[in-house]
Amino acid sequence: MGATAAIFAKELRVEFRNRQTIVSYLLLAVLILTSFRFAFSTIGEDHTELAAPILWITIFFSGLLSLTPSYKREVDERTKEGLLLAPVEHQSIFLGKLAASLVVVFGLEVVTLVLFFGFFPFAFPDGLALGVILVLGTLGFVILGSILSAIAANLTQAGVMLMVLAIPVLLFTVVLSAVSATSEIFSGGGLSDVDSEWKLLTVFTLVYFAIGYILIDYILEA
Amino acid sequence: MRLYDSSRLLFLLWSAVLVLNGILLAFIIVPRHETMGDVQRIFYFHVASAWIAYVAFGVTFVASIVYMRTKDFKWDNWAVSSAEIGVVFTTLAILTGPMWAKAVWEVYWRWEDLKLLMTLVLWLVFIAYLALRANVPSRRTKATLAAVFSVIGMSCIPLSFAANRIWTQYHPTVIASDQGEIVTEGMLPALIVAVFAMTFLYLALLLMRVGIAQLQDRVDELKTRVGD
Repeated sequence: MGATAAIFAKELRVEFRNRQTIVSYLLLAVLILTSFRFAFSTIGEDHTELAAPILWITIFFSGLLSLTPSYKREVDERTKEGLLLAPVEHQSIFLGKLAASLVVVFGLEVVTLVLFFGFFPFAFPDGLALGVILVLGTLGFVILGSILSAIAANLTQAGVMLMVLAIPVLLFTVVLSAVSATSEIFSGGGLSDVDSEWKLLTVFTLVYFAIGYILIDYILEA
Repeated sequence: MRLYDSSRLLFLLWSAVLVLNGILLAFIIVPRHETMGDVQRIFYFHVASAWIAYVAFGVTFVASIVYMRTKDFKWDNWAVSSAEIGVVFTTLAILTGPMWAKAVWEVYWRWEDLKLLMTLVLWLVFIAYLALRANVPSRRTKATLAAVFSVIGMSCIPLSFAANRIWTQYHPTVIASDQGEIVTEGMLPALIVAVFAMTFLYLALLLMRVGIAQLQDRVDELKTRVGD
């Protein structure tokens, strides 16, 4: 636990030391939202059914981008060997980095949500239901995204390759369920209306966590 | 080690005979379909290609797990060879499907159909798998990361099966169907021959591709030795 906490603290320190990286994720989120807002104004203002996809596309892409450097910087700065030689389990590295990524992505999400409800004329839906789906969906895509980021760190073009690896496995699982639940919520549904989705998202989160916990040994030693 | 040894040539020859036989049966001997007409003849190639797509990715998945346990490049060679051929056959299935669908469903693709979506996801996962391999310089890293990704990709297939709440079954079910007779008696021989033909073609291609991968490893090994 101590090792996980140490890695978590180190990750956050590195992430916030270099402010330009965190600003670039925020900038991407703002630009995606602005692009959608512009497109939205050209098709008319009453398309509530577009709220969920717009929100999730923004969160998914800016979130995935923020996962890229998590493992990549260890390769770039030649600190990977040091990290692997440290007397800590690979699982602690995975957990520490995952926790730090979650802090960054949740932070991004708060800003995205504020902008989203500021920009778009959508009525604020059931807060509890939206919160639950956002948290579960984010957990799901950040856990698997973090594993894929560990793989992509060893590849040339790590940033693009993370997207290429993540979209086929995440789009039709987590994003699909999250978007369908969020649509339901935006059209007036509560937590009980998205019963099957939040359970499904919980299952995804657990399965991805298990996959990452088992496979991280192979990835870090590759 | 030779690429064209007798067993490989035999497989290739035998699959050529079967493929020709399959074409003959599907296009000439089988009667015209009562309701769908001639467009139905693509069915034999479509089903056989889709079958090989699933078999090939299954082989990649198993070979990847064995590689992760044994760290023997032999298994990585089987995994990548099967994945490459799998992508080709999935592409064939995805191309032949819409030709039939446009005539029968009046649309090329149905996004809400479960089988179509699964096949598309599989195709994308294994294209990403090949892209991953193309982006790693070191042999061992490539093999390990690709094996890990194929395990992740395959584990996501049942999950996307569960996630797709809106799915419906437009796609005809060939085996164990409750929608009545899909395969009538006249069609059965052509279907069996087509499936066997594609299976032997897959095996022949797989053996050749594994042979190439082994030769590549051998060349790399010799290069390192000369370099010393």
